[in-house]
Amino acid sequence: MFAMIIKRVLSAIPVLLIIATLTFCLVRVVPGGPFDEDKNLPPEIIKNLEAKYNLDKPIAEQYLLYLGRLVRGDLGVSYKYVDRTVTDILGDAFPVSLQLGLAGLTIAIIVGVPLGTLAATRRGTFIDVLAMFISTAGISVPVFVIGALLIYVFGIWLRLLPVGLWESPAHMILPAVTLAFGPTAYLARLTRASVLEVLEKDWVRTARSKGLSAYATVSRHVLRNALVPVVTVLGPLTAILVTGSFVVEFVYAIPGMGRFFITAVMNRDYDLIMGTTLLFAVLLIFTNTLVDIIYHFLDPRIRVED
Amino acid sequence: MKRFFIRLSKIRTAVAALLVVLLICLLCVVSYLDLPLTGFAFDETSDAILLDPCPQHPMGTDELGRDLLTRVIYGSRLSITIGVLTALVSLVIGTVYGAIAGYCGGKIDSLLMRIVDIAYSLPDLLVMILLGVLIGRGTLGILIALALVSWRGTARLVRAQFLALKSEEFVEAARAQGQGHLKIITRHLLPNSIGPVIVAMTFTVPAAILSESTLSFIGLGLSPPACSWGTLASDGWRSLQTHPHLILFPSMFIFVSVLAFNFLGDGLRDALDPRTRSISKVGKEL
Repeated sequence: MFAMIIKRVLSAIPVLLIIATLTFCLVRVVPGGPFDEDKNLPPEIIKNLEAKYNLDKPIAEQYLLYLGRLVRGDLGVSYKYVDRTVTDILGDAFPVSLQLGLAGLTIAIIVGVPLGTLAATRRGTFIDVLAMFISTAGISVPVFVIGALLIYVFGIWLRLLPVGLWESPAHMILPAVTLAFGPTAYLARLTRASVLEVLEKDWVRTARSKGLSAYATVSRHVLRNALVPVVTVLGPLTAILVTGSFVVEFVYAIPGMGRFFITAVMNRDYDLIMGTTLLFAVLLIFTNTLVDIIYHFLDPRIRVED
Repeated sequence: MKRFFIRLSKIRTAVAALLVVLLICLLCVVSYLDLPLTGFAFDETSDAILLDPCPQHPMGTDELGRDLLTRVIYGSRLSITIGVLTALVSLVIGTVYGAIAGYCGGKIDSLLMRIVDIAYSLPDLLVMILLGVLIGRGTLGILIALALVSWRGTARLVRAQFLALKSEEFVEAARAQGQGHLKIITRHLLPNSIGPVIVAMTFTVPAAILSESTLSFIGLGLSPPACSWGTLASDGWRSLQTHPHLILFPSMFIFVSVLAFNFLGDGLRDALDPRTRSISKVGKEL
């Protein structure tokens, strides 16, 4: 296990390098620069600014300079938020997105997995049809519609909950529910399909015929096997949720990573784009490794390999 | 083929979904005719501004006095067209790419699949925004950007199908007859893997409709005067507090059409693979 983790960390380095290189090229190939939208800066000042941030050097040199800084742990500075380093901005925005993402993820798992299991074990009944209708509806609603609906009902109509900003735990409820909606539905569908497949197995019949109750069969044997595909999608899902949903942050005016990422791309804030993309990639690799470790506990037959 | 349709017709949700999908496509076609509706599109008598739903304007009017029902019907033109065309384009790209990878196998396959993996690791929004800058943020730009992020799934699917089918006896027989690679791919492998590809495409349409509306909603997609359900919802968002009907109706149309496509996809998948619907005795008992 320990050797696997070391191997994963080592193999992550070339992957991160490829992602860094690709993002670097992609952002620079597209026309436009970080100082385009400032109010008619004289060309001399733009030149000075570019010289200050080494943007006047050839692309290859800029790339090597960036990598050199990256190795030393320096993510660079923002061109738009003056005097703020990328580390500083991400340090402010990431905890917000992380809290929101983990809250959403928790809701999605707590509601989605039992709902899917219930639907599968009551297959063909009214409960199954209802659960599947709800979850198909859940993956069919745009996030902003859920947001608008919740804001209208709980914020404007009932006046129960705050509908914007990020100040108290109460401010977290509506955004977390909005964020959780799609993943909950997705997990429910996935769990249902997976549980149905496991229920067909011969050993389920064996467990039942030796007198194990239906509840015990499902909770002790079926779920453990059926959760493997669910855990698989939880890896990337966690990475996506904790790095911030732009739409949720937009709808509720939350200062999270999603917003910084979009404005960074719009403004060609090169280092901030790179920093956000790399943070996402690191998280993705981290959660996928975590998933592999969880596999081992769910089903020891799945070899923890490189 | 006939058995497939019989199985499909037995899935009630799929039949209902198919009807709704056909209705929405009809709506989209009607919107291209523009004849009978333009009459009350622009209500010049300016006292009809921001009306709540009423008999003359079943969905109310917007801040310029335009009838929302008319605008929603017009919106279907872009929303549905973008959804369907995105699915078609990504289907073609993904199928060709996946077919080459799966048929050639070996080094070409692993190279092509690594490229797909790398393409997956870039954030979709980054790619779409930058592509939007490169090709412009019109209908065509959105379409290309959406297609370029949604072909990867199809490519993987087609590749997996081809890898599984390629060693089957009928392919070997075709090869023994001296048929060329192109003929084997188009006559034998593609027809046999078309089912899952169609299912995947049915799921790409709603995904594209959702992406387009979300992009337009946050101001990174289409923008007025272009009119899609997403831009309408985006307009409505600003007056959520005072005139919720402006966001309600476009959202409803997005929801219903995406829901219908998703249910249709589920139905097609189940009809294609009857095994997923069989009820085992043990399963029933639980």
